[in-house]
Amino acid sequence: MTLSDETPGGAGMHVHRLLDEAFAGVEMGPEQQDLKEEMRGNLVARVAELTAAGMGEPAAARRAVDELGDVRGILDATEPQPGPSGAAWQSRRVRPDPAFAVRTVVLSALATAGLVVLALAATLVDMPFAAQVVAVVVVAAVAGAITADALRQETTGSHPMPPARAAGYGAAMLLAVAALGAGWLYLRDAGLPWLIAGALVLVVAAALFTYLGATQTNRHKAWVVRQQQEAYGSDRFTEDPAAAARFGIYTVTVWLVAAAAFLALTLTAGWAWSWLAVVGGFVAMTVLIARMLFAPKP
Amino acid sequence: MVDNSRDVLAADLLRGHTDTIVLGVLRREDRYGFEIFKRIRDATGGRHEIKEATLYATYRRLMKDGLIEAYWGDESQGGRRKYYRITDAGRAVYRRNAAAWAATRDIIDTLLDLDDGSRSSDTTVRRSS
Repeated sequence: MTLSDETPGGAGMHVHRLLDEAFAGVEMGPEQQDLKEEMRGNLVARVAELTAAGMGEPAAARRAVDELGDVRGILDATEPQPGPSGAAWQSRRVRPDPAFAVRTVVLSALATAGLVVLALAATLVDMPFAAQVVAVVVVAAVAGAITADALRQETTGSHPMPPARAAGYGAAMLLAVAALGAGWLYLRDAGLPWLIAGALVLVVAAALFTYLGATQTNRHKAWVVRQQQEAYGSDRFTEDPAAAARFGIYTVTVWLVAAAAFLALTLTAGWAWSWLAVVGGFVAMTVLIARMLFAPKP
Repeated sequence: MVDNSRDVLAADLLRGHTDTIVLGVLRREDRYGFEIFKRIRDATGGRHEIKEATLYATYRRLMKDGLIEAYWGDESQGGRRKYYRITDAGRAVYRRNAAAWAATRDIIDTLLDLDDGSRSSDTTVRRSS
């Protein structure tokens, strides 16, 4: 088919029409719709590039769509393939790095020593204030170092965290522990500035944790992610929202009845028996979950 | 003919690294599909381009493996763009694959040079004599 240059609609019109043609006859689900929308954005960008190079809009649209090739081919290629199950867990096992284990033990010993110093200062021994400050600094630094070190480790289920991000978590942990330490020193008769400084540092630590948490991306290995997806898709309430709604109604009913029975039994038979109503409600709830969430496969 | 078969071989070799190449493109900033395609095409001076069809499948596989995440941009004009962001897992896999490739490349370079090295030293010997 040919499109005339005068087709109205401006930039992208041709792309939209050609894209609809390419997807004609394809059974559209959310997955296909998503792919189509993604392709649309990319095609518009490609057409913009071609027209910027001097090509006419309709020809550019035609060319961009042609470059894509057969849409069905792409759809087939993006069909999810069943991955291998968790059977090969052994082969994926990552043993902890012995050096890391040793580092952690040594650092923990150091932190424990710092805590012992603080505990002694608080109870038995008369310790110079400077020594207590040093102890707090040591404990905070060790906590930060252990945190960062642990996040840098590859485990069976997770990739190591990038160095900068791991260092960020380590720094946040250091600041948080240092803030607690400053608070403790304030309680140990240090001046008010310690409390204020501690509070400020705590705010910085919280902000840092918040930033890191909000920008955190997946760190799990592919096989863990796949397993999670499979597990997620298989529970009944995500597959069948009506069942989830029924479950909600049943839950309210069960507990209303239990509460009424509890009240009635308390007023008639007394405390000795009324608690059975709550147990009954709990049992009914458990059976309900077993029957509804993990419904036997037909 | 010879040229052609060489191109096919290089393309095969490159195809095996599509995932890593895409992860590498996303390493610095989030990008959308055509941007990724263009960066790969332009970076090689047009000598190599990964088919868009291949890339669409790659994005979906990488997402399924948790190596990248997708989100829609807020373009109001034309088509909205689907941006991809690399995850920490993606960075780890990229780094590992890049290291594996560097090691492999060194070994292959060494092995391919074995013969060349001796021959060139032969010629120098012959020339000097």
